[in-house]
Amino acid sequence: MSNVNAVVFTIVVILFVFVAVIGFAASRWRRADDMLHLNEWGLAGRGFGTFIGWFLLGGDLYTAYTFIAVPALVFASGSIGFFAVSYTIMVFPIAFIFLPRLWSICRVHNYVTPADFIRGRYGSRGLSLATAFTGILSLMPYIALQLVGIQAVLTVMGVEADSTNKYVQDIPLFVAFVVLAIYTYVSGLRAPAAISFVKDTLIYVFVIVAVFYIPTRLGGWSHIFGTAQTHMAAINPVTKKPNGTFIPTSKSIGSTQLDFATLALGSALALFIYPHTITGALATKRRDVVKRNMALLPAYSVLLACIALFGYMALTDKTTAAEVKKAGNTQLAVPYLLQHMFPSWFTGIAFAAIIIGALVPAAIMAIAAANLFTRNIFKDFFKPDASPRLETRVSQWASLVVKFGALAFAVWLPHTFAINLQLLGGVWILQIFPMLVAGLFTRWFHRWALVIGWAAGMIYGTIAAYNVHSPTSSHWASSSDIVFGHTVYIGLTALVINVVLSVVLTVVFKAVKAPEGADETLPHQYTADAVDAPAPEPAGVGAAASD
Amino acid sequence: MTEPAATPSAPGDPQRAVATRRTNPVAAHPITSLAIGVLVTAAILGTLIVPIYARETPYVGDFPFFYFYLLIYMPATALVLWIAMLLQRRLAPRQPAGPGTAGTAGDPVSGGVR
Repeated sequence: MSNVNAVVFTIVVILFVFVAVIGFAASRWRRADDMLHLNEWGLAGRGFGTFIGWFLLGGDLYTAYTFIAVPALVFASGSIGFFAVSYTIMVFPIAFIFLPRLWSICRVHNYVTPADFIRGRYGSRGLSLATAFTGILSLMPYIALQLVGIQAVLTVMGVEADSTNKYVQDIPLFVAFVVLAIYTYVSGLRAPAAISFVKDTLIYVFVIVAVFYIPTRLGGWSHIFGTAQTHMAAINPVTKKPNGTFIPTSKSIGSTQLDFATLALGSALALFIYPHTITGALATKRRDVVKRNMALLPAYSVLLACIALFGYMALTDKTTAAEVKKAGNTQLAVPYLLQHMFPSWFTGIAFAAIIIGALVPAAIMAIAAANLFTRNIFKDFFKPDASPRLETRVSQWASLVVKFGALAFAVWLPHTFAINLQLLGGVWILQIFPMLVAGLFTRWFHRWALVIGWAAGMIYGTIAAYNVHSPTSSHWASSSDIVFGHTVYIGLTALVINVVLSVVLTVVFKAVKAPEGADETLPHQYTADAVDAPAPEPAGVGAAASD
Repeated sequence: MTEPAATPSAPGDPQRAVATRRTNPVAAHPITSLAIGVLVTAAILGTLIVPIYARETPYVGDFPFFYFYLLIYMPATALVLWIAMLLQRRLAPRQPAGPGTAGTAGDPVSGGVR
């Protein structure tokens, strides 16, 4: 702790304590009669309107990954990093198509998790287990990535303890995480919902200030773009290829346009089937709130575009670029940039914004994973008669386990590993797309076909991602792969395999008249609103389920 | 933010509302439904088809076209989705928080076929 700036450190600590107080106090916010119910702890009473819903979903969707990893990718490779901008645009029209239906059916049947819906729709505990398993598996590294984001900020702040011992070094991270874990345990989804107000305000302030102020320090936008263009075109001495692309190219060698488009599409399809985003969406009180938020949330994507441009700013500022290169970790680009461009007090605010920005999604992800475990593993397979009270207790403890699992990921594994696992998380979660989204519109698919398609997608995606190599690393080098001579996002290739198998096998299973399983949903329930399903009652899920 | 209830998409005469609720809303309003479908599809394709905007020129201010396009596209998407939402309300002539009117009206994009 030798070169810590006292002002930066103080401001970050004050804001962190402030947020922790809000997190604990949130348990009294919109207090319900019986807090020991999963609708309360896990979905904050399903009562959020457009305003709170916007803050919650915004705080949920735009994670530390956005603030740290996207500009890091832009810093390293140029325009391909802007796939994230394209993706966060595309995601809203896509979600607009299916999310209101998911909201309605979950409201009518009191489903808490996406796997609850799968079980009710297909009458299959196995398919629901596959969904829950995939959800938890994809969320773990995603939470770990939030921690990696916090670590990047802490590293630049210099608050890693002076020790070669890993555990001692990471004490500040442990402290932050334990506090987060406890208030999530106590307040459930109310904690991140309340904190997201602070998060979003801080982020908006710091990004808007940065995007107008930093270019004036760096000789204007034309200089920033000019430097980036020159840098990306320059030949890298190690790989003997250009550093990156300034505009996605369509040249036959080194085409990045298809890579860009498939990454964007794949990520966009994945985002609203991640359990934590569904948790955020289900916490709203009316179908209309979901739709309205699809039109209002792109405001956040404007921020993302500005944040992505920070990557080029970091490249333009010579001191920042040199320090990032010296540290050998592009994740530090944004923290270093902020440190060099701003006075200490404002750097403190910006750093606090990123740290809090990581805590909100981490909490929601832990809650979503905990709910999946409770509803679709614990209750379905071990204790079918679990009371709502017991469900909530199990979820609370599961959220702690999930958090510490993620902490272990972040501390023990190399950082590039967490990022690659997150990429893999996207590949995995995409494999529940056919059963979940197609299931919202049609019951044509056969449950066994969906399971086999899912398994094939998971296996192909994992192996393909493992085998991608680059001049600098032998495995997990990227999330894109070369298929028939084109660079394509692995998740999308795996999804295609999954869908084709599901279709073909459905025809086969229907031909041999394999048992279909019961469907407890009715067509009109997919468009129902709150007035059609008034009070969420503690009903069991999938009473008709069997397999 | 406009309060959506104050938009021109207010429900038509009650008789028509009842009729709409009983029939398929997509069939009842083919043009509105088509418009919603086109809007949402266009919003997706406009950013999915990268060759449309993967160009350096023309510069808009200091921004190369590629970066300018992505920045402008976001508010445009927001607007398009807001319009689509208002159009959907026209298909389903029922106030969102309105009391009592049970029965469910679909919408062509998210409420069409089963």
